[in-house]
Amino acid sequence: MDRAAADGEGEPARAPLLACSGLVKRFGDRVAVDGVSFAIAPGETYGLLGPNGAGKTTTIRLVCGLLARDGGEVLLDGRPVDRAHADTRSAIGFVPQEVALYPDLSAAENLRFFGRLYGMGGADLDQRVAEVLDLVDLADRAGDRVDTFSGGMKRRLNIGAGLVHRPRLLVLDEPTVGVDPQSRHAILERVQALGSQGMAVLYTTHYMEEAERICDRVGIVDRGRLVAEGTRRELVAHIAEHDHVKLSATGDLAAFAEACRAAEGVSQVDVGAGEVDVVVDDGRRFLPRVVEVAERCGVAISGIEVTEPDLEAVFLHLTGTALRE
Amino acid sequence: MRPALLIAGKDLRLRFRDRSALVLGFVAPLAIATVMSFAFGGAADFHVTVVVVDRDGGDLAAALTSVLRSDDLQEILTVETADSVAEASRTIDDGDAQAGLVIPEGFTDAVAGPSPKGLEVLTSVDDAIAGQVVRSIASSFTAQLDADRLSVATALAAGAPADDLEALVAAATEERLPVALAEQDTGARPLTALSYYAPGMGIFFLFFAISFTARGWYAEAREGTLERMAAAASTGQILLGKAISVFAYGLASLGTMALVTSVVFGADWGGPLPAATLITAVVLSVVCLTAFVIVVARTERQAEGLSSMLVFGLALLGGNFVVISGAPVLLRRLALITPNGWALRGFVDVSTGPHAMAAVWTPLAGILAFSAVVAAITAALARRMELP
Repeated sequence: MDRAAADGEGEPARAPLLACSGLVKRFGDRVAVDGVSFAIAPGETYGLLGPNGAGKTTTIRLVCGLLARDGGEVLLDGRPVDRAHADTRSAIGFVPQEVALYPDLSAAENLRFFGRLYGMGGADLDQRVAEVLDLVDLADRAGDRVDTFSGGMKRRLNIGAGLVHRPRLLVLDEPTVGVDPQSRHAILERVQALGSQGMAVLYTTHYMEEAERICDRVGIVDRGRLVAEGTRRELVAHIAEHDHVKLSATGDLAAFAEACRAAEGVSQVDVGAGEVDVVVDDGRRFLPRVVEVAERCGVAISGIEVTEPDLEAVFLHLTGTALRE
Repeated sequence: MRPALLIAGKDLRLRFRDRSALVLGFVAPLAIATVMSFAFGGAADFHVTVVVVDRDGGDLAAALTSVLRSDDLQEILTVETADSVAEASRTIDDGDAQAGLVIPEGFTDAVAGPSPKGLEVLTSVDDAIAGQVVRSIASSFTAQLDADRLSVATALAAGAPADDLEALVAAATEERLPVALAEQDTGARPLTALSYYAPGMGIFFLFFAISFTARGWYAEAREGTLERMAAAASTGQILLGKAISVFAYGLASLGTMALVTSVVFGADWGGPLPAATLITAVVLSVVCLTAFVIVVARTERQAEGLSSMLVFGLALLGGNFVVISGAPVLLRRLALITPNGWALRGFVDVSTGPHAMAAVWTPLAGILAFSAVVAAITAALARRMELP
């Protein structure tokens, strides 16, 4: 089940772990990030969804303190995150878009190096490296050089390197770009599992399906601005679009259509050859009633297809462009 | 400091796993220095075989031949004889001799006459220096003859009796030219080619550390590891880590070069302390140049181009390829705006003079001044720097 489909409230219920407000970043005359604000609670997975060049990567570089801000504030547990505060930065695990690993080092050597950079060492580091290698299913390849790994293995280790120092917030910048479907599925499962274990996750993507699948809330970014945010249902409600329920049926379809029109929440019914198309506020809630109506009218239903408005439609509505343009 | 040391340790580990870095830092400078010392290092073993064609047979011809065979010249000259110019030319063409000297018929008799006969030097296109050596010896001999002739003529013109001609000639031949070069031992040792090219090639190949470290910086930026490091460490700590790794690599490279060429090939680096001081200083200048390239360049390609210009520009100006003391004045002065030029001057001074720190202070000051200027420019530019 999609996490976003859980229909949670728009704001995080708990006190936010990360709070960004009014983030601004300029490169010369170009404003790359323009007043972006959002918050993430512990255990919440927040997605920044937008096309390439929308400002997602610049936003997360500001969040991680990798770029100097021209405006705004980033607080982690109420304390500022910037180049001067190493303690707050060490609570963030950063997974860049590239496979940011040393190909001439082994998987364990890579993890040890990044763990030590965050101040870890000794038996604790050894134990954590073993845990992370286990987590990303690379325990049996710990001593192998990274340049001998497949693309999917490198991607998994790339995420592992962001986890080795036990961060409270994991920031992933499009971690599935260029990954085959099987590896993508594995990566998304791991990110979902991390969220379930209580880790806050900030996830950028331009794949609408990924945002819908793993994110509790989504912020839609376009041209450096956060144009909307919320659960998927909240975002869909925002654009006032409806679900479509398409029924394949035999019998008195005209009477069936008439009965559907009388039902609550139905705004439109069209009848075609062996098909009835119903536009309804909430397709899932409508389904039990439509079955009752069909029985009453003596109509035999052979197929039902519910189409809900997706984030692609939301993005199109908000920005006037398709997500992949 | 801990992040910087960790980054330096990681860089060194990667570098020593990279065969190309090992070749550039250790194998290539040793190989090239050895080859160049063989190519240019013949001064100590210089020897010429000269073919003499005596068509005169007189006393002066015998005297000239005996000069060529004298004890003073036996270390550099071997004298062979030939019956004809053609035979002498064949001997030279065959490579059995490097130069020839033809004493013309009537050479001895013509000395007392109004038009003395000249000596002819046969030279080889393959060994011009041998011809010049023989020409110099012949010129020296004829200059002494001319002086003797002039002395006798002057005495006769001054009224000396012609009957005493033999006595006058004898007296004139006893006199030597009033101006002659005198050798005095200054205690200096000759500069061997290996003692020059060992540090020369060592420093030249050390310069490549500028290129691969700067390119490595941008490669890390492209691959994301720089950004990942920056999430945990400050830009200053990362730069310091890179600087420490270049410094350690440079010390290992030049130190190995000094040790191996001294122990195995007998190169003179001027003693442990002066050599260590100069090596440390020149490695420091390479660290500063590396930071300069990283700060100035904006892309990996720019870093590569700028590094290449610096490597070859400094090597050419500083005299890593040719012994700079034999170059024109302008080049010798230009060499002193480079750290390698100062370093090589220091190595030459300590390898040809006393192995004392006194010979190192001026070159050391030159290298440190260069490094300070580069470091100051780099620091000023780095203030506006953001990670690529």
